Amino acid sequence: MGGSGFLQGFAMDSRVKDGIDQETVAAARALESENYRAGFSTDIETEYAPKGLDESTVRFISAKKDEPDWLLDWRLKAYQRWLTMTEPDWAMVEYDPINYQDIYFYAAPKAGAKYESLDDVPREILETYEKLGIPLREAEVLLGVEGAAETAAAAREPRRIAVDAVFDSVSVATTFRAELEKAGVIFMSISEAVHQHPDLIKAYLGSVVPQSDNYFATLNSAVFSDGTFVYIPPGVRCPMELSTYFRMNAENTGQFERTLIIADKGAYVSYLEGCTAPMRDENQLHAAVVELVALDDAEIKYSTVQNWWPGDETGKGGIYNFVTKRGDCRGPRSKISWTQVETGSAVTWKYPSCILRGDDSVGEFYSIAVTNGRQMADTGTKMIHLGKRTRSRIISKGISAGRSDNTYRGLVSINGKAAQARNFTQCDSLLIGGDCGAHTVPYVENRRADAQLEHEATTTKLSEDQLFYVRQRGLGEEDAVALLVNGFVREVLQELPMEFAVEAQSLLKVSLEGSVG
Amino acid sequence: MAPARGALSPTFPDASPAERALADRFMAGTVDGRRGRAFEAFARTGLPHRRLEGWRWTDFRAALATLAPVTATGHGQALPVADGAVTLRFSGEEIFLPDSLPDGLILHTKADAPALAGAEEAPMAALAAALAGRGTGPDTVILEVCGRVAEPVHIVCEGGGAEVNFARIAVIVRPGGALDLVESHLGGAGLSSVLIEIDVAASGQLRRTLSQRGDAHEAQAITALVHLDEGASYIQTALAFGARVARIETRLVHRGTGSAAVLNGVYLCAGGQHVDFTSHVRHGAPACTTRQVTKGAVLKGGRGVFQGKFLVPRDIGQHTDADMQHQALLLEQGAEVFAKPELEIYADDVECAHGNTSGALDPDMLFYLRQRGIPLTEARAMLTQAFIAEALAAAGGGTHEALSAAASRFLSGVSL
Repeated sequence: MGGSGFLQGFAMDSRVKDGIDQETVAAARALESENYRAGFSTDIETEYAPKGLDESTVRFISAKKDEPDWLLDWRLKAYQRWLTMTEPDWAMVEYDPINYQDIYFYAAPKAGAKYESLDDVPREILETYEKLGIPLREAEVLLGVEGAAETAAAAREPRRIAVDAVFDSVSVATTFRAELEKAGVIFMSISEAVHQHPDLIKAYLGSVVPQSDNYFATLNSAVFSDGTFVYIPPGVRCPMELSTYFRMNAENTGQFERTLIIADKGAYVSYLEGCTAPMRDENQLHAAVVELVALDDAEIKYSTVQNWWPGDETGKGGIYNFVTKRGDCRGPRSKISWTQVETGSAVTWKYPSCILRGDDSVGEFYSIAVTNGRQMADTGTKMIHLGKRTRSRIISKGISAGRSDNTYRGLVSINGKAAQARNFTQCDSLLIGGDCGAHTVPYVENRRADAQLEHEATTTKLSEDQLFYVRQRGLGEEDAVALLVNGFVREVLQELPMEFAVEAQSLLKVSLEGSVG
Repeated sequence: MAPARGALSPTFPDASPAERALADRFMAGTVDGRRGRAFEAFARTGLPHRRLEGWRWTDFRAALATLAPVTATGHGQALPVADGAVTLRFSGEEIFLPDSLPDGLILHTKADAPALAGAEEAPMAALAAALAGRGTGPDTVILEVCGRVAEPVHIVCEGGGAEVNFARIAVIVRPGGALDLVESHLGGAGLSSVLIEIDVAASGQLRRTLSQRGDAHEAQAITALVHLDEGASYIQTALAFGARVARIETRLVHRGTGSAAVLNGVYLCAGGQHVDFTSHVRHGAPACTTRQVTKGAVLKGGRGVFQGKFLVPRDIGQHTDADMQHQALLLEQGAEVFAKPELEIYADDVECAHGNTSGALDPDMLFYLRQRGIPLTEARAMLTQAFIAEALAAAGGGTHEALSAAASRFLSGVSL
């Protein structure tokens, strides 16, 4: 580590493009490994499953969670399936082969998986979340986290977030449950939900991401440890933001969480996900599955600020983030919106997707992916249009620096029955320096004559027309570019709930002035 | 012989009858090392199929269950080319070469196929290299362009109803040389695969214009491997009507500073017809430009595929200026358009952009024309013709009018 990375010599180097201001350089440097603030580890006694993976590991995890037989069978079926699969290699990422026998598939802080109250949660864990700025005490939340509100009335009401904190393989605390229950909202760890709401779990688990979907999703189905379960009953607007904070702490451990969110008819929920891990020299695997189900007229807004440890600037260590996220707009007029700010992980392989099944349903994907050092990100989305008049919108911004590679990979598929479907896709890439890569791999499949699909991608400046318009209003070229570019970035950032927008901005002060041209 | 057969067996564990027939054809003649390597490269994948990333929408294996003769000897007329053009005709087992050549043009034939670089990347090209001229004619026809050749060269590929038609042609443009190359790919074989290797030396110019036709019983692959040296210019225009599967693939490398390429294409697919325009452009030298416009119009039961890729390597690709546009019209329900416009960029001081749209004709435009008294069918044909015109504008060898007319005939025959 230290400041010997590429960006160190960057400011005085000819590779700095004209127009990239010092603020950008400084901000990019701030993303360097030495500034990874979440890189500490917590010293706590941890209980592991035996290293490696075989059928007994799956049984061990299931037994730890005291699961019913049907779920154990479900896991075992996935495990058997996984044995027949091969790891995908089509993404534009390279990493050393993963030795699945050298990983702990389960790690939990000793002294119980779930704590009755926060007072029982080990001090080390509480301190960990405190250090990360994650409010686990409801009182603190009430006092501490006040977002800038849009209306005067909202400004008087402090904004609150309910948090499910997942530490390695277990959920350690879930806040505001009582208050949420009053509204009928179920917000708990998925291991609890298996016992308390087995019908919902049975009905929806694996219904969006099937067991055999892909290599990593199948692995997750076999060994998933914990995660969050959310159910919003019909017509309920969830009274507060829900959030899960994932923390990988133990060494040589994989994290395999499973999140399931169901918004029943006419319901609304905004869900936030954050993740960090200690700085370790070895690579760690994170293979999560997230399933969202939106029934008629429901809306789910899912936001992620992904800040896993990305490895140091030589490429040592870091998280392999191989995640399957998919939302199913099952009912008419439903809406699922993914917003992600990706700054972490050594290797990212992730495509939050929407299946637009219901007529008039809407899918959105807003993404900013920043790679630095030796990071590799292959990320994007899939919009599968099945229903009539379904609409989707994809806005993706990739920023590459250091020796990293950043790929947007997306699929827009219009089924033969998706009358009058519409999609708009825009992906822009910015390269900072000459040692990184920016790639765009869109797949567009259209089977409808009345569909309208537009895709734009560029590694260059803004639309001439927009520039012309702004300039003829009297702005100089620099100001015009700054205005338009900033406006565009805000378009993604403003999709984030306020609490996350602040975090994202502090992670991401890379301004886009002087975008590569 | 054994090694080639050996190379075949592990990769053809469940060879289709067509693949077996191709292997038999290969084994029937003497096997030299270069042909062997080319066939090995083909055998690695066999007939390309949908499980290969670059062929997910164009499945030759599925389209070509067996190798069989076809009833059509060819489709339509060869393009009418400017006076004085010389014609090379490749028809199934026979090759017809011109008696006299214009100034500046030298024709060579080679009986031992030259090695094919990059064969692994293009299995259908490798197949052509392995099987072209098998026993009946020269393996490779080489056109050497030593000056500015005034008359176009016309290559006509017409199978005459045979099972297969393979051709391998090399065009070498010497420094400062210039040539108009016109190609008429008329089908008329169960499987046609034509490989064209083009090398344009410093300041040389090549304008390539091609038209492709086929029917629902035929599979066609036309692969061009293009290298451009410093300041060279290459302009390609293609009009394709498709076949059961038809792939027009261009793999181009900018090898010298400041070379320029234009890759334009139009596909018009009726029911049962499939066209795949695939291109791979490597900006392997600084300050090169690529302009690519592909337009398509597809009817019910037709499928248009566009796969484009710009690869800009680190350092040497600086100051690249590249633009890729693909726009398609689905003229009827039941049409399919699949696209993958791809950018892979490792240099920071470049301008690269791509755009991709697909949809129906603008109803406002249709309304405007109709309220001027133009019948709907004609209005649609006019708008579609205007939509594709840009991509045919750079056609050479006196073929522009013929290409526009061919497109127009297709569109006016469409009653929607």
